[in-house]
Amino acid sequence: MLKLSKLKEAIICLKAGKVTLPYPAGPAPVPSGFRGRPVFDPDLCIGCGGCANNCPAREILISDVCQEIRIIRYSGQRCTYCGRCADLCPEKAITISHEFETATNSIEDLRQEIEVFMGTCQRCGRCFKNENPLNDLILKGYRADDLAANRWVHTSRSFLGEGDFGDLKIELD
Amino acid sequence: MNSYLMFVTQAVFNVALVLAVAPLLEGIIRKVTARVQSRQGPPLWQPYFDLAKLLTKEDIESGEAPAVQRFAGYLSLAAILTVACFVPLGSQPPLAVVGDGILLIYLLTLTGVATLLAGFAAGSTYSIFGASREMITMLALEPLFAITIVMGALKTQSLDLVGILNGSAYVSNGFPWAGTLMMVVLLFALQAFVGRVPFDIAEAETEIMEGPLVEYSGPKLALFKYSQMVKLFVYCALFAALFAPWGSGLIFPLSLAVLLLKVLILVLLVTLVAATHARLRIDQALRYYATLLGVGFVALLLALLGK
Amino acid sequence: MPARQVLNLIKQRFNGVIHRVDIPEDSRLLLYTGRESVPDLCRFIFRDLDARYVISIGIDDRPYSGNFQVAHNFAFENHHVLCSLICNLPAEDPQIGSISPDVPAANWAEREFRDLLGIEPVGCPSMKRLVLPDGWPDGVHPLRKDVPWDFRPKDYDDNRIYDFDEPPEGCTVVPFGPFHPTLDEPSHFRLFVEGEIVRGCEYRGFMVHRGIEKLGDSVLTYNEIPVMAERICGICGCVHSVAYAQAVEQAASVRPTTRAEFIRTLMLELERLHSHLLWVGLANHILGFDTLFMQSFRMREPIMWLCERITGNRKTYGLCVIGGVRWDITPEIKADIIRVLDQLEKEWVKVANAVKGDRNLQKRTKGVGVADRTLVKEMGLIGPMARASGVPLDCRKDFPYAAYDKVEFDVITQEGCDVWSRVLVRVLEVFESIQIIRQCLERMPAGPIQLDLTDELPAGRIGLSSIEAPRGESHHFVVTGDDNRPRRWRVRAPTYQNLQGIPAMIKDKPLADMTIALGSIDPCFSCTDRMEIVDLRSGKVQIFSQQDLIRLVRSSGSAEQTV
Repeated sequence: MLKLSKLKEAIICLKAGKVTLPYPAGPAPVPSGFRGRPVFDPDLCIGCGGCANNCPAREILISDVCQEIRIIRYSGQRCTYCGRCADLCPEKAITISHEFETATNSIEDLRQEIEVFMGTCQRCGRCFKNENPLNDLILKGYRADDLAANRWVHTSRSFLGEGDFGDLKIELD
Repeated sequence: MNSYLMFVTQAVFNVALVLAVAPLLEGIIRKVTARVQSRQGPPLWQPYFDLAKLLTKEDIESGEAPAVQRFAGYLSLAAILTVACFVPLGSQPPLAVVGDGILLIYLLTLTGVATLLAGFAAGSTYSIFGASREMITMLALEPLFAITIVMGALKTQSLDLVGILNGSAYVSNGFPWAGTLMMVVLLFALQAFVGRVPFDIAEAETEIMEGPLVEYSGPKLALFKYSQMVKLFVYCALFAALFAPWGSGLIFPLSLAVLLLKVLILVLLVTLVAATHARLRIDQALRYYATLLGVGFVALLLALLGK
Repeated sequence: MPARQVLNLIKQRFNGVIHRVDIPEDSRLLLYTGRESVPDLCRFIFRDLDARYVISIGIDDRPYSGNFQVAHNFAFENHHVLCSLICNLPAEDPQIGSISPDVPAANWAEREFRDLLGIEPVGCPSMKRLVLPDGWPDGVHPLRKDVPWDFRPKDYDDNRIYDFDEPPEGCTVVPFGPFHPTLDEPSHFRLFVEGEIVRGCEYRGFMVHRGIEKLGDSVLTYNEIPVMAERICGICGCVHSVAYAQAVEQAASVRPTTRAEFIRTLMLELERLHSHLLWVGLANHILGFDTLFMQSFRMREPIMWLCERITGNRKTYGLCVIGGVRWDITPEIKADIIRVLDQLEKEWVKVANAVKGDRNLQKRTKGVGVADRTLVKEMGLIGPMARASGVPLDCRKDFPYAAYDKVEFDVITQEGCDVWSRVLVRVLEVFESIQIIRQCLERMPAGPIQLDLTDELPAGRIGLSSIEAPRGESHHFVVTGDDNRPRRWRVRAPTYQNLQGIPAMIKDKPLADMTIALGSIDPCFSCTDRMEIVDLRSGKVQIFSQQDLIRLVRSSGSAEQTV
C-alpha cells in the first residue's frame, strides 16, 4: 500500500518538524508594521477633527462643548484598525500600537477620550480655525449629535439632493 | 465455584483494562497524527478529558426516537465490552467457558448493529444516509472475521475460544498458506474495521455531518465515542491473538505487557495509514472490500483443503 | 482602436438603435440605447459576437436624471474590450425585457435588480426572490435612493416561508446547508436525491448579505470604501479594493503612479498565492486527507507573515486609495519577499510532484464535477473553472490592468473539465504567481506611491474594472458622484457566476461528490452575498423564526449596539 507518492508526502511532512507556537501560553511576536489599536496622545492633539472625518467606521466622534472645549472620543467598538486616522493626523498625535489582545468584558476599557482646549484669537477672543488642508473636510464630516448615546450626524450636503438639505440625522441604535 | 469466581474476576479485569487503556490509545493516535502534520497536537490524556466533559453535559433528547437512541448507546458500549471479555488480554479469555466462536462472531456484529440503530432512530436525513453506508460496510466486512474464526475452528477441531484465539489460524501447526493469506487480508481490513480514514465513510464529517451520530450529544455521544475507542483496542488485541500469539504463554504481567506492545504497534500502523490517505467513496470502498472478501474465501478454501 | 472595432461590429447590424457612444479609453465601450432594443442587442452580442456575459446592474438615477437605468456588461476577450450596454427606464414604469432566455447566465443578476431596485425583468423564467429575505415586505426596494441605509421595514413578516420547488419523482430531499461542516458560510443547496445519486438541486443563498453596496453609495466616501471593500471577502480582499480603486480611477481618468501599480500587482499575486494554497488544503480536507491540509497551511503561513510585515495585517491590507497605495516596499521587505518565495517554491515543487502522482486523490477527483465548454459559455463560468475546461480566460491577459502588461507569465489551462484539472490548474498557478512577483520586484521603478489629488473627482462618469481574483474575474462597476462618494457601486464577485453552474455539475452524480464539486469552484459566499441591508440579526430571525430569539437579540442591544 505504500505507493511512492504517499512516501514522498510523508517525507515532506516529517521534514518540517513542529511548527505550532505555544500561544497563548507563550508570546506571539508581531512585526514592526503591525496595525493594532490606535493610541491618542492628548498633548499633541490640536482638535482639527481630521481623524473623525475620515474614520470609515465612524468610531471617532467630536463634540463641541463650548467654543473653547472640544471633546474627541474614540469608542473602539467597530474600529477596523485601518490606520487612516494615524495617516491623516497632522500632528502625529495618533500612533498605531501593537496591541491586538483587546477582548474585554466592558466596552469602556477601549474608550479613549481627549478634551482639547482650542486656541483663541488674541484680538477677538474667538477660536480660530487652523488654515490647513484638512480645513475643508471640517465642513463635510461627522459630528457627535449625542455623545452619551454615541450618536453621530452627517453634517454635509446630503446625497438626496438638489438644494441644501441641512443636517440629515442618522441614528445608531 | 472457585473457577467461576476466577473467571468473573478476570472478566472484570479485562473490562477495566480496556476502559482504562482505550482512550490512551486514541490519544496516541491523535498525537502521532499531529506530529505527522507538523503540529504539536493535543496532550496524550485529551480523550479522557473529552469523555469526562461529554459526560457532564446536558442530556438533550433530539431525533425521532430518543429511547431507542439511548438504548443504542448502551448497546454499543455493552457489546464491545462483552467482546473484551472473550479476548485474551494477558491470560486465557475469561468467559470462554460460557461462549464459543459463534458467540464471538455475533457479538462482533452487534456493535455494528448498535450504530445502525443509532442512525435509524435519529431519523434525520444525514443519519439515515450514514446508517445505510454503515450497513453496506458491515455486510461486506463482518464475514472476514467470521472466516478467520471458522479457520481457527477447523484447525483446532472445536469451537472453543481458548484454542482458536491462540494463533490457531496461522502459527505452528496452523495452515501456512491459508493463514498467511488471511493475516494479510485482515491487516488490510483492519483500517476498515476500526473505521479510520480511508474507510471512515459512514461517519464522514465533511460529507454527511457525522452520519449516524449527528443527533447525539453529551453523555449519549460519550458512550459512542468510548465504544469506538474500545473497539480499536479490542480489534487490535483480537488480531494479535489470532495471528501473533507469541508471548502469551508467559506469566501474567509479562504477557499483558507483550500484548499491549503488540496492540501499540498495530495502532501506530493504523495511525500512519490514516494520516497519509484521503477518504474513499462508498462505491470505491466497496470494490476494495469485495476484493478482500474474495481473497478471504480463497483462504478458507485452502484451509478446507488442509493447506 | 479595439473599442471602435467592437462598436463597428455592433453597428453593422443595429445601426439606428444606439443613441450615444462613450469611449473613455481604448478598452472600454459604453453604449446607450432604448429599452426596446436591449434584448435583441444582448442576444446578438452574446451569441453572434460570442462575447462573455459579465453582469447586469440596476441603477437608481432618479435624483439626477429622473430615470432608472439598467446596464448589461459584456466582455470581449479577443478584442480586449469591456462593454456596457446602458438604457434608461422611466421612473413610473421601471420594466425591461429580460435577457435570461437568451443569456442563461443573467438569471441571478436580473432577479437581484428586481429584488433590490424594483426593476421588473419581463419574461424572466424564474420569478422567485433571490436576495431579500422571505419576510421582507413587497414593494420596498432597499437600493433605491429614497430608502435610507439603516432602514428597518415595519411590516416584516416572520412567518412567510420561501416557496421551495417540488422534488422530482422518486427523489428525497437532502438539505445541504445552511449549516454544514464543509461550508464556511451559510448557503442552502436543496438536493433532490435518488438513492445516492443527485437528480437536481435548488440553491438559496444571500444569507449573509451585509449591505455593502448601499453603504458604499450613501455613507462612505471614495477613500473609505476600499477599507470596506477588502472586507467583502475573507480571502480575496485586496482584489476588491484594487478593483474598486481602478474603476474609480478609470471613471475619473486618473492614472495611479507606476510604482503604485507595481505594488498593487505584487500584493494581488501574494493574495493569489495564499488563496490557492488555502484551497489546496481545503480540497484535501473535504476529501478527508487532513495531512495535506495541514501541510498546505504550514507552507502558506510565511506568506501571511510577509503580508503582515508589508501592510500591518495578515489579510485586510488597507492597501488602496484612489490614485495609489498606502504601503511601500522597502529594500528589507524586498529581501524578505525573495527569501519567502524561494522557500515556498522549493517546497511546493515537492508537493506538486507528490500530488500529481497520488492515485488515491485522483480516484476521488477524476470525472467529478464535470463542467464542459458549453456550460462554461452558457453560464459564464470564469477563473480556474474555465481554465480547467480548456477555455483560457484570464483577465490579466485579456484586460491588462495595474502592471500586468509589464510582466511575462503563462495562462495555465488543462483539458480535463473535472475537479482534478482544477487541482492541477491551481497547483501550477502558484509557480506562475511566484514568477510574477519576482519580476515585479526587479522592474518596480522608484517614485511616489500616491497621487496628489487636489480636485474633486468628476461626477456622473462610469467606470468598469475586471480583475483576476484567485477564483475568477471580479468585476466592479462604479458611477461617480458628488459629495466625495459614488452614486452606484456594483460588485460582481467570481463565485456569483460560478455558483450558477453548480446544479448542472452535480446532476446525475453521486451525493458524496457534491462537496468536492462545490469545493472545486472555491466558493466564497461572502463575496457573493454582499449587497443589501439585511441586518444579520433579522436574517437569523428569518431562518429560525423564533419569537424569543428576536426578543433576546433586540433586548441585549444597547444604544451603543453596532449595525
